Amino acid sequence: MNTSATSSPSLSAPTTTPLAPAIECSQVHQVFRTRKETVHAVNNVSLRIDRGEIVALLGPNGAGKTTLLDIVLGMSDAEEGTVSVFGRSPREAVSCGLVGAVQQTGGLLDDLSVRETVVMIAALYRQHMPVDEALERAGATSFARRKVSKCSGGQQQRVRFALALLPEPDLLVLDEPTAGMDVQSRHDFWDTMHAEAREGRTVVFATHYLQEAEDFAQRVVLLDRGAVHHDGTVDSFRSASTHQTVSFVWPEPTPLPNLPGVTRLDRTGSRVIAHTHESDRLARFLLTQTPAAELEISRGGLEEAFTALISRSTDT
Amino acid sequence: MNLTYTLHDFWRQVRAFESMFFIAVLPAALFVMFGVTQGWSNESSGNGNVSAYLMVSMAAYGAVTATTSIAGSAAVERMKGWGRQLAITPMGTGGYAATKVVVAVAVAVVPVIIVYLVGVFTNSAMDDPWRWFATAGIVVACSVVFALYGLAAGLLFRSDGAVSAASGLLVVLAFLGNVFMPLSGSLLDFARFTPLYGIVGLARYPITEGWVVAVDGTAEQDSVWMLLANVGVWAVIFAAVALFAARRATARN
Repeated sequence: MNTSATSSPSLSAPTTTPLAPAIECSQVHQVFRTRKETVHAVNNVSLRIDRGEIVALLGPNGAGKTTLLDIVLGMSDAEEGTVSVFGRSPREAVSCGLVGAVQQTGGLLDDLSVRETVVMIAALYRQHMPVDEALERAGATSFARRKVSKCSGGQQQRVRFALALLPEPDLLVLDEPTAGMDVQSRHDFWDTMHAEAREGRTVVFATHYLQEAEDFAQRVVLLDRGAVHHDGTVDSFRSASTHQTVSFVWPEPTPLPNLPGVTRLDRTGSRVIAHTHESDRLARFLLTQTPAAELEISRGGLEEAFTALISRSTDT
Repeated sequence: MNLTYTLHDFWRQVRAFESMFFIAVLPAALFVMFGVTQGWSNESSGNGNVSAYLMVSMAAYGAVTATTSIAGSAAVERMKGWGRQLAITPMGTGGYAATKVVVAVAVAVVPVIIVYLVGVFTNSAMDDPWRWFATAGIVVACSVVFALYGLAAGLLFRSDGAVSAASGLLVVLAFLGNVFMPLSGSLLDFARFTPLYGIVGLARYPITEGWVVAVDGTAEQDSVWMLLANVGVWAVIFAAVALFAARRATARN
């Protein structure tokens, strides 16, 4: 179900292995043990993300998104399984400056100015983009002289983003990058991200805003309780829920015939709601061969697809 | 270790007035009050006068406050997410530790310079110029032991408040360690086992050659080995606590 690789060899640094995908996880397991219980935070995840892909990692809180991204960033080692980033170990890829990240829990130092923060981190890289350019691209130029402690949540997120851009990474990993932003800042942030993605960077972001996944990602990976529950394009994700409803008014005394492809029927008064995977076929049948009237077809949005997938996985 | 990063970090610490007040201003003020302007200032304390003796004491107090607070806040800032920010750069844990040691020592030099300048321009006197450099050098070198103390506090309690409390506790340790006022009797016997006694005793050694004069005028001589043992044992204790706290911190993450 993977979307095709749109690799951009011109942008990958000469240090990367030419054909290696941006991220390759193979049967990754991560377990957290507390005194009371053992949590399988990441449970047998295999995932390949090719260069140039824009992938949303979707899932409810505690689904294992951050744990998985931590492993990809080399922050923690997987208990089992292998992870490679551009054909290297995560730590190696990170220290070569191939990976930039906006981490959910990445802290900043309150008593530095925005610009000082970027200058300090920039100094740690052997090669980096000019500090002013990173600030500009992250949209942080206007408040570069401000103390970090005086910045709003959205502004601090832009500072983190500027830090992530510094090494001109081939892979950007963003863990809930718009958390704590208002609608306008969120909108601006994704505009900035679109520009970065057009440069051919691979972008992997975790979110629980479904709209963000729909607007920005080409591919959606749904994680639930540490396992991959769905992996495909946004469209395939939506239809994977196959949650469509056809509702119509049915003349009372007539018994309902056997309706094709219906998984569940609900009746409220004279209105019948049929849940189906094949709304077109059902509608055609209803309109041509039955007295059904006032037909309404609705296709579940991403939100419903999400809920459906999660609840289905909870049922099993 | 990275120079730009280290310089910025140093500058960030030095411009923080609240912490520099306790690190540099307070020891200098205490020195002026008790060392410079008292009747005993020009009396001899061995190879220097009492003013010089108190100059070394106050510089030592400032220096250990500096290393305690720098190392402690390093532990806290690392756990509060800056560590994760650094983890995705080429700087490793070793580089971070090296940077912080350099910054801590550099900041520890600040109170030494300020207090010594006050001493130079007032009435501190030592018999030979090398004794000035020897005492200052010992102060800075020994203050590194208290980086372990600050580190242990930061790792154990994980808050800036705990680090401030640890620095505040240094006042008590300084009294108990015969740093501020000359102790006598059983209190002096007890002082020999407290962590600041060894450091300040070693730093004063070029002046006093180990002689400790109590309030009642009696004098005893500490051997350099006893002072070194005090510093060594406390360094091991602080290191062990810091190591235990670091292990516990990693286990919890």
